[in-house]
Amino acid sequence: MVTNITKTVTIYIDDVSYQVPAGANLVDAAKALGNDIPVFCYHPKMSPVGMCRMCLVELGSIEKDRATGEVVLDDKGQPKVRWFPKLQTACTTNVSDGMTVRTNTKQVDQARENVVEFLLTSHPLDCPVCDKGGECPLQNLTMEHGPGKTRMNFADKMHLDKHVPLGDLIFLDEERCIQCARCIRFQDEVAGDDVLAFHERGRSLQIITNSEPGFDSYFSGNTTDICPVGALTTADFRFGARPWELTNVPSICPQCPVGCNTSLSTRLDRDAGGRAIIKRVMPRQNEQVNEIWICDKGRFGHHFSRGADRLQIPMTGNAPASLTRALQVAADKLKAAGSDVAVIAGSSMSNEDLWALKQLANGLGSERLGAWPPTHAGADLVAQVGVGKGTNLSALGKGDAVLIIASDLEEEAPVWRLRINQARKRGAIVVVANARKTQMDEFASETATFEYGEAPKFMADIEASDLGKKLAAANNLIILTGADGLTLVESRALMQSAANFLIKTGHIGKANNGLMSAFPGSNAMGLYYMGFTPEATLDIAQKPPKVLIVAQSDLIADDPSVGEWLTKVETIISLTLFNDALAGLATVALPIQSFAERDGTFVNGERRVQRFYTAQGPIGEATPAWQVAGRIGELLGQGKVKLSAAAVMLDITKSVPAFEGARYKELAHVEPQFPMIQKDVYYGGTAYENTGGLGVQIPTAADQGETLNVGEVFVPETPKVGKGKMLIIPTQVLYNRERTFQSSELMHPRVADPYAEINSADAKRLNINNGDMVEIAIAGASAIRVRAQVDGRAPKGAVILPRHLATNAVPLTATVGSISKVGQAAVVEG
Amino acid sequence: MDLIKGFRTTFKHVLQEPVTIQYPEQEKPFQERFKGRHELKRYDNGLEKCIGCSLCAAACPADAIWVEASENTDEERYSPGERYAKTYEINMLRCIFCGYCEDACPTEAIVLTQEHRLSFTNRRDAIYTKDMLIVPPPEGTEGSPQQVEPGKFNRPIPDMENPK
Repeated sequence: MVTNITKTVTIYIDDVSYQVPAGANLVDAAKALGNDIPVFCYHPKMSPVGMCRMCLVELGSIEKDRATGEVVLDDKGQPKVRWFPKLQTACTTNVSDGMTVRTNTKQVDQARENVVEFLLTSHPLDCPVCDKGGECPLQNLTMEHGPGKTRMNFADKMHLDKHVPLGDLIFLDEERCIQCARCIRFQDEVAGDDVLAFHERGRSLQIITNSEPGFDSYFSGNTTDICPVGALTTADFRFGARPWELTNVPSICPQCPVGCNTSLSTRLDRDAGGRAIIKRVMPRQNEQVNEIWICDKGRFGHHFSRGADRLQIPMTGNAPASLTRALQVAADKLKAAGSDVAVIAGSSMSNEDLWALKQLANGLGSERLGAWPPTHAGADLVAQVGVGKGTNLSALGKGDAVLIIASDLEEEAPVWRLRINQARKRGAIVVVANARKTQMDEFASETATFEYGEAPKFMADIEASDLGKKLAAANNLIILTGADGLTLVESRALMQSAANFLIKTGHIGKANNGLMSAFPGSNAMGLYYMGFTPEATLDIAQKPPKVLIVAQSDLIADDPSVGEWLTKVETIISLTLFNDALAGLATVALPIQSFAERDGTFVNGERRVQRFYTAQGPIGEATPAWQVAGRIGELLGQGKVKLSAAAVMLDITKSVPAFEGARYKELAHVEPQFPMIQKDVYYGGTAYENTGGLGVQIPTAADQGETLNVGEVFVPETPKVGKGKMLIIPTQVLYNRERTFQSSELMHPRVADPYAEINSADAKRLNINNGDMVEIAIAGASAIRVRAQVDGRAPKGAVILPRHLATNAVPLTATVGSISKVGQAAVVEG
Repeated sequence: MDLIKGFRTTFKHVLQEPVTIQYPEQEKPFQERFKGRHELKRYDNGLEKCIGCSLCAAACPADAIWVEASENTDEERYSPGERYAKTYEINMLRCIFCGYCEDACPTEAIVLTQEHRLSFTNRRDAIYTKDMLIVPPPEGTEGSPQQVEPGKFNRPIPDMENPK
């Protein structure tokens, strides 16, 4: 797909000569020249199959004398063209020198008309009720190339099942399917989850899913975008609105560090009181970030933005209050506390919010800015030796290497997993190193394993090993870390060792080389640039301040140990999306707006500052967090609150060097991208056009040739696990019961029941069978009841305990605890 | 001479029937093509003809129609096919009675009747909701939604004439 643009060849399309990149696909090349060859099955992101026959063209080549290599001339002195006797499919043709193509002849027109007519023989006349109607490739190409009249006897039409669920999220209409196999090929080639297939042959050919549960993939929603008809529809948007009624607002997915560019399709809704609400989430093309794909969590996880649990009105001491009053109470409390104030900010807050909170704290004389959740350290190292400016995971291929260490990327950042898997298919070495077996092993070209707690040591010692030598020798190397089974100190040591290795082997300061980390939330890097650190959070827990501002962080649901120190805080000011447990504890709870209701920016894991726009109508009296912090500051005499998010960003660009050149106007800049996906839906899929901006990548210290300071690596001792105790390893799963996902009811069947994975040897010793209810006891936390899963993935002595599945909070980082069986296997979870 | 001609015309009209009628006691039939208030029609079995496709709203030059669709099930069926109009509203103050909606409708669900007596005392009342627009179910049917046997009403558009 990425063509070598240095070498070009001459081709002739409709008797005009063009210079095109050598080896380019003919459909792509013609498209770039403004000649739209219609296609159904061909997609620029997948290999061609030539199944639909829509792209038939007259194809020939200039005849050359075999002996001399001279061009043979005809009677008129023109180069002689040797034409294929029949029409050829353009999508399976790569351009070569002297290739001659005709796309405007009668024969080609006739072929296109016939193909459309043939496809329509078994296609229902559903357009008025079809979700694709209005942005349908088949509809558009029928209007353009179709016969206009039918010769078909309506009684002869195929009548098939119109409502076949392929899993919980995607429905198949068998009548509408034109068997182009785009969905099957996407799952196989792009997503790497080969869960769809063709069943039967000929007229009985149908799409089926061969996984249990059905269509078991985190990327299933993308198949509905690339489906050239309305055969695949999502459970979320089915009959939600007609495409022409929707307003597409550029946004950024708030769920993970990938920072996928999305379009929020909004429409006014009677049930929502006439407000504009998100009807569907679509990917928005950004070839450097998410190409044209998003995961199902991003696509279907938008319901929290208008969930019933959103905090609508300000509260003081658990009683409703006016916003003015609540802000005054907050200001008074802060004033009384003097500088004994701290802030804990969540990792999905926008840069503007973080900046305003920092200003507020600094204005009071406090530098205590904590990042939540405090699980992943080393954002400062990503700022120093992170992936170089211009990095594009789609550029990785043969001779390049990616090391994924201590991360289950499939669960933590699915689109990175998708793109790295594609790099592997192009020939890159993908090494997955972890203490436990994960889904990622399937997408690795090599795996490595170590004991829990040994990850920093493994990374520090990698240089001497064969694996290390192989990685060091790679043309381009990206190290992608996680914090699977690590404490915060260990996480820092791992990041430092990784940074040292990259520096030593020279894989820094250039594109496609450097460090990445699967941080939690969508703006962990923004937290770093604004001065919020996880280390400060631990310090806040050690020495609780008089007044604590907690912003968009669900402390109580995330961490069982907060109860210990939170009671020592005199006043909690909660800036929150939800009416959660912490809002109940807070002296003042102020409702803030989610990403969907306001303007803002996130910095993704590759340090790209990206802008999102206001899509949804406001909820209750919620205001943006930067405004809440700004107004409290105003009451404390810190100066006027800014008038808009853009003004806050302008302030940031002037004060934080990393954000220089990241003003809203610059963030909104767009450039042509390949493949060229504009309004024509038939070529790339539905409505991906990027009008909201590609974002601006912050250069690393290495990019700018600054001195690097990795710091001394402190490899902590592996915690001693006492007799009868086990290591409890909290992990991240994509589909969980966090508040930011819980409101998406259609996803509930896909969220696993609370479980813990244990090793079969341990299970035998403790007399635990697969499926038994077990209780996990950890010092300082209430017992967690889950179902045991003895599946051979957990290493000996460890309990893999996913976070945010059980009702009780699971520790943030690895700890020691014990596990025991509860009653009989038949006990139902309470 | 001209004077006589004039009087002749006058006297002729004295003897003719008057064209003026006493509205509203008396009413004159409208032209067949007259377009007045809209109605949403039903099939003989009581199901709604409207499938919530929004094509009327798309065709409307005055942006007077608002449709929100939802999904039919065999247990709770409003219209044939998978889709029905959950919300259907026409703002009669905006409507210019051009009849484009009628032309756009693929199922002949929306029809402009001869009813022309529309008056409202406030703007809110000018919005006619689905309940006001839909005709009552034919006698002996239960209207919509109704529980139907599975697989019977899976075609949203009525069968068309075969090409000749």
